[in-house]
Amino acid sequence: MREARVVGALGRRALSVQFRRAQLLMPTFVLPLVLLAVIASGTSAGQGLRGFPDVESYLTFVLAGTIVQGTILAGLTAGIAMASDIEFGFFDRLLAAPVRRTSLVLGRLAGTLSLSLLQTSFFLVVASLFGARFPGSVTGVLGAIALAAITAVAMGAVSAAIAIRTGSLSLLQSLFPFMFVMLFTAPAFFPQDLLVPVLRDVSAFNPLTYVVEGVRGLLAGDDAVGAPWAGFVSAVGLALAGIAIATAALGQRLRRL
Amino acid sequence: MSVAVTLWRRSLNEVLRVRGALLPATVAPVVFMLGITGQFGRLTGLEGFPTDSYLSWIVPLSCLQGAGFAGAATGSNLARDIEQGWFDRLLVAPVPRPLLVVGPILGAVTRSLVPATVVLLVGFALGAELTGGVAGLLALYFACAAFCATAALWGIFMAVTFRTQQAGPLMQQGVFLAVFLSTAYTPAVLLRGWLAEAAELNPITHVLEMARQATVTGIEPSLAHTYPGILALLGLAAVLGALAMAGLSRMGR
Amino acid sequence: MNAAVEVHQLVREFKGGIRAVDGLDLEVRDGEIYGFLGPNGAGKTTVVRILTTLLRPTAGHARVAGHDVVGEGDAVRRAIGVALQEAAIDPLMTGRELLRMQGALHGLRGGEARERAAALLERVGLTEAADRRVGGYSGGMRRRLDLALALVHRPHVLFLDEPTTGLDPTSRAALWREVRALHEDGTTVFLTTQYLEEAEQLADRVGIIARGKLVAEGTPESLKARVGEPTVHVEISDPQRGRRACEALAGLGAVERPTERAPTRIGVRTAAGRAAIAPIVRALDEAGVAVEFVEVESPTLDDVFMAVTGSHLEGAATA
Repeated sequence: MREARVVGALGRRALSVQFRRAQLLMPTFVLPLVLLAVIASGTSAGQGLRGFPDVESYLTFVLAGTIVQGTILAGLTAGIAMASDIEFGFFDRLLAAPVRRTSLVLGRLAGTLSLSLLQTSFFLVVASLFGARFPGSVTGVLGAIALAAITAVAMGAVSAAIAIRTGSLSLLQSLFPFMFVMLFTAPAFFPQDLLVPVLRDVSAFNPLTYVVEGVRGLLAGDDAVGAPWAGFVSAVGLALAGIAIATAALGQRLRRL
Repeated sequence: MSVAVTLWRRSLNEVLRVRGALLPATVAPVVFMLGITGQFGRLTGLEGFPTDSYLSWIVPLSCLQGAGFAGAATGSNLARDIEQGWFDRLLVAPVPRPLLVVGPILGAVTRSLVPATVVLLVGFALGAELTGGVAGLLALYFACAAFCATAALWGIFMAVTFRTQQAGPLMQQGVFLAVFLSTAYTPAVLLRGWLAEAAELNPITHVLEMARQATVTGIEPSLAHTYPGILALLGLAAVLGALAMAGLSRMGR
Repeated sequence: MNAAVEVHQLVREFKGGIRAVDGLDLEVRDGEIYGFLGPNGAGKTTVVRILTTLLRPTAGHARVAGHDVVGEGDAVRRAIGVALQEAAIDPLMTGRELLRMQGALHGLRGGEARERAAALLERVGLTEAADRRVGGYSGGMRRRLDLALALVHRPHVLFLDEPTTGLDPTSRAALWREVRALHEDGTTVFLTTQYLEEAEQLADRVGIIARGKLVAEGTPESLKARVGEPTVHVEISDPQRGRRACEALAGLGAVERPTERAPTRIGVRTAAGRAAIAPIVRALDEAGVAVEFVEVESPTLDDVFMAVTGSHLEGAATA
């Protein structure tokens, strides 16, 4: 129970600080929506391509990619915040406290989970105001929010591991384009069958492919659009692996002290 | 002018003396170019798309994107200098205020050549077409340099107005919107809804068309795709420059 | 008396063979203020980081509050409060939020953490600023908040790493008052500093570290007594009376005669120090020698450092 309180306190801190700096809000809440607006409007003619699936709403189709983009950004923000704590000494304060070392990682990820819940909900509300439809109804929407949150924890764990390993804020900040490689090698904004051949082949090995399609399937209420179970398996697997890596990185760092 | 040259050299220190400083600014447009091409490459199959090579379509956009963010970074750096007090040192020097920003703008333009060149090299290596020859390349580089300078003026305006690094995202979002609310992903004939209208009104659409003469349309003898871009850049520079100078003149008073 | 901190042959080596701590032995008694004095780069912060479990020793042992810093790290962390050299605070949080979070990290439940935060804010004089973001605090306010954070769980041993570096005199004096108050409450304080005055004013005992080793240890008075006695300097008005003045002062201590460069200045070295001023002035008056000026020069901890290491302590004159 005590450690749960510790994780809660650290998670609350992680979340509240996020909302106190415009630099952190813009990339996680505004940028993905701006990109969604541009892509949804700019590439909607693509529905006329042979092989494009019959979708009720192109906006909803593209929204799945935006939601996954949001998880990547929320995750990266966790790593940046952790690197900032390490670089500016606040992490020492946490290390000198009588808390389990894993709680330092889990606390940060608790904040990322909460952030993702808010972020995905925000995206869904804004998209619905602009005409997105969710045939999957409440169950599908809640399922998509949950899937996104687990994915965000996975992304957060990976970037936290990099932060703990390197302690470098500038390195974390420069990871932004590299994280987007994960997004672009998945059918984030276009169907998998209509990606250029190289990318189509690579996307089969990208766990985010199954997350994106899982989100699509949940919002559409149709497993044929995307299998939610595959998405959850990928997300949970990524999250567990990410947490293991982050915890191992922290253990290594402490042994190097 | 020696002040401008000194400040130009200082702004280059940011990338010459910090290992890997140019890497994110160079890698980001390349990643986006390849990623967007990978996602939307099949759009060239739509009737009305002026090229079979989506990579050729996207290369100029990525060059402009890289140049724009290099320009916006000038504003972030100025905001940092203002917050940390370094800019006060320049303000008390007996130098006309406009000269204080000429150097950093030149530095941004110099820096912006790197991502633009890298994007071009990667694009051509992967099959993008050089339809406009040398003249087209010149038009592209001019578009990048001038857009970078314009973005720098926007960044400077934001920096002297808000005087905090927290305005950094605003600077970047401004560039992002300018570049992407245009014929970024598809030509005008294929745009739908609000974006079609926005692209028509957005002066950067003309800058993009000027840049696309390198890899898509080729240079028109009448320069019909060149003049509008130049006029757009001149107009934007005049407006943003006036705003930046007005803000600068208010500092320290 | 129990030892709050015990260090035995402590060594810490960094990459490149740099020995920041090189066989250190020391003991801090329960309830005392121990001043750890040394120049920049002497190893003070490295020692603090080892004792607060933020760094592992390469060799040797250390125990804090009866627990081994390596094998019983968690127990050590429960017993200590830490205010590091750089005030480790989050600028986007308010003072109150930081204190509550620290309380949660030390196992205080919601209501208890809130009450404790309020009490500490009042104690360090930050109640009015409690709900402002720490990023807007002055240097002195940050240090006070840092101290409050270190006291949330009523630690047995408090580590303060150069707590007044960079502070103005008023803020420094306020912090000193707080440290004395903690001492009266029975808290053991391990204080590192490069300011002589701080060590002399606050510490029950002082340990002087140079190049990773403890070179001297004792009360400030006993350390200074090792290097010499105070000297009373007298400026007489008539240099022609110098010999008569020296004869009159002969029985009061070791007399330092005037020199060519200072023909009117006479020194009397005596353990009595200030107490010798009155007899000296009386003796000169009876001898008919007029006195212009009297001052007492005492050995400082810098003199101690000089005697032991052959060089001055940096910052000796800058506190």
